[in-house]
Amino acid sequence: MSRVSLSSSFSKPFKACSDVTGLELGAGLSEGVPAVRLRKSKGRVEVVAADFLDLPCVLPMSPEESEAQTWRLPAPFRAPCAALAIRSPQASLCHSAGGHGEETADRAVAYRSVSRQTAPEMPPLVASLPDFQAAWAVRLLPEGRRPTACSLQITAAAAMGGFAASSALARAGGYAVALFVFAESTSLAAFQEGRLVFYREHAVGMDHLRSAISSEVGIELELADSALENTLFDPVPIIEPVLRPLYRQVEISADYLLRRCKRQVEHFFVNGLTIGDELWGELFKRVMNRTMTFCSPFDGIGRAGQAVRLPEDVEKRAPLLMTALGAARTVLEDA
Amino acid sequence: MNDASLHLNLLQDDERFSSSPIRLRVMVPLLAVLGVVGLGVWWFLLSAHIGHVTHEKTTLETYCAELKPAHDQVLALRAREKEARAAFSQLDFYRAARIRFGDALAHLPQHVPASIQLTELRVPTPPPLPPQDPALKVKPLGPTNLAEAVTMRIAGRVSSSTASEAVRSLLEALRQPVFSNLICKAEIPKGTFRQDAARGPAVREHILFEISCGCSERRFE
Repeated sequence: MSRVSLSSSFSKPFKACSDVTGLELGAGLSEGVPAVRLRKSKGRVEVVAADFLDLPCVLPMSPEESEAQTWRLPAPFRAPCAALAIRSPQASLCHSAGGHGEETADRAVAYRSVSRQTAPEMPPLVASLPDFQAAWAVRLLPEGRRPTACSLQITAAAAMGGFAASSALARAGGYAVALFVFAESTSLAAFQEGRLVFYREHAVGMDHLRSAISSEVGIELELADSALENTLFDPVPIIEPVLRPLYRQVEISADYLLRRCKRQVEHFFVNGLTIGDELWGELFKRVMNRTMTFCSPFDGIGRAGQAVRLPEDVEKRAPLLMTALGAARTVLEDA
Repeated sequence: MNDASLHLNLLQDDERFSSSPIRLRVMVPLLAVLGVVGLGVWWFLLSAHIGHVTHEKTTLETYCAELKPAHDQVLALRAREKEARAAFSQLDFYRAARIRFGDALAHLPQHVPASIQLTELRVPTPPPLPPQDPALKVKPLGPTNLAEAVTMRIAGRVSSSTASEAVRSLLEALRQPVFSNLICKAEIPKGTFRQDAARGPAVREHILFEISCGCSERRFE
């Protein structure tokens, strides 16, 4: 064995991950840290465990705040590898013609970036993250204890990766525009033949909807979700000014796909929406005259026979697990 | 890697760790170092042991060399002591094997008729022993046979006309119990009862005779 191959065999212990636990860091959910363990067996992906873990997770915003802490996951989530999806206001995901590195040169803190050419004639998609946040995330899972990190992704990329491998996109023939709704923003992605051809972020998320309802109705933010389900008043006039710009971006993306591949987009998917599906669909129908399909991240994923940890209301809270599941599935599909 | 994959992995190679509690990149060098150290310790212990054994051997050799004259002296003394014991033992054998002729021969004049003149009474020397085996390392001090045949030869002359009776009388007397402790059998060998022709016709009535007696054998026990 040559010296190079010997050193590489020591430095790259992960040959192929077939059992991965996805974790979303920095989600700030009161339920806990979203965690999903997926296993790929005979080409079929199945969920082994999914839950919200009670773990300390305060994302450092500066290198000085990076305190060394380690996690010990519950037994059902102790897969050999972990895919970490990190949600950070300092992270970015965008198409960049200049490649990665140029934009990060003038920043005060060091950034690490990685790019991928997702489609021909398109600028590569670049993900970047402050170095101290990446190092903090990796140190959460120390060596010699299951799991250890094999992947570190931006939340939007993890969510898109999970959707790109989903059965919903496959059923749509690979042509679709998908929305990924997060708390602070919504990611918009256009797919052609299953490949990402267009990505952008819109600064409207679930928190903006809640804020709008809270201020218009005069209720606290915590009650906004229940107001979206309440039929005593029509919230559409409240959320329409918030969502209309987003739907306009969707329309632009559909037009782009039509010009690019001479094919009308028929499928519009929404991921990560925890509440208000009917309102989003109704407004979309009114604005775009199209039907919206709401996806669950567990669609098309089987349950492992020995599934040991799946909360009873996992379906209801599944959108919150979208990113963790997407991170794990992206690793499984990339292996 | 899948071209369509959206796996934008920000993890760096030096941040990839194994979840196995047995870390190859730690264990292999550690085991190698431990192996080398163990080999060195084993070699050191072996060298120390060999040195110790060599030193002990030298000490013992020196001690043995110092003791050798005394040891040789002890061996020589033991050999001499053994030799002396053997000589004493041999002498004891001879003492035990001694045959007392005196008591029996003291009775002999009473039984010798007046017409008989004993001219010789001899105990012949026993036949010589076979030559010793030159291969024997330890030479025997004395005869190696446990028993030795003893004979006694009595010769005489008789001058009467009744010589036969006189000699027969002596022969019978030698067979009596008073001699039985010494003489087991007595006989006149053929041709030994004859006239004394060598002294001339004047003494032709003189008859010479010999009696051969078989005595109790000497036992070296």
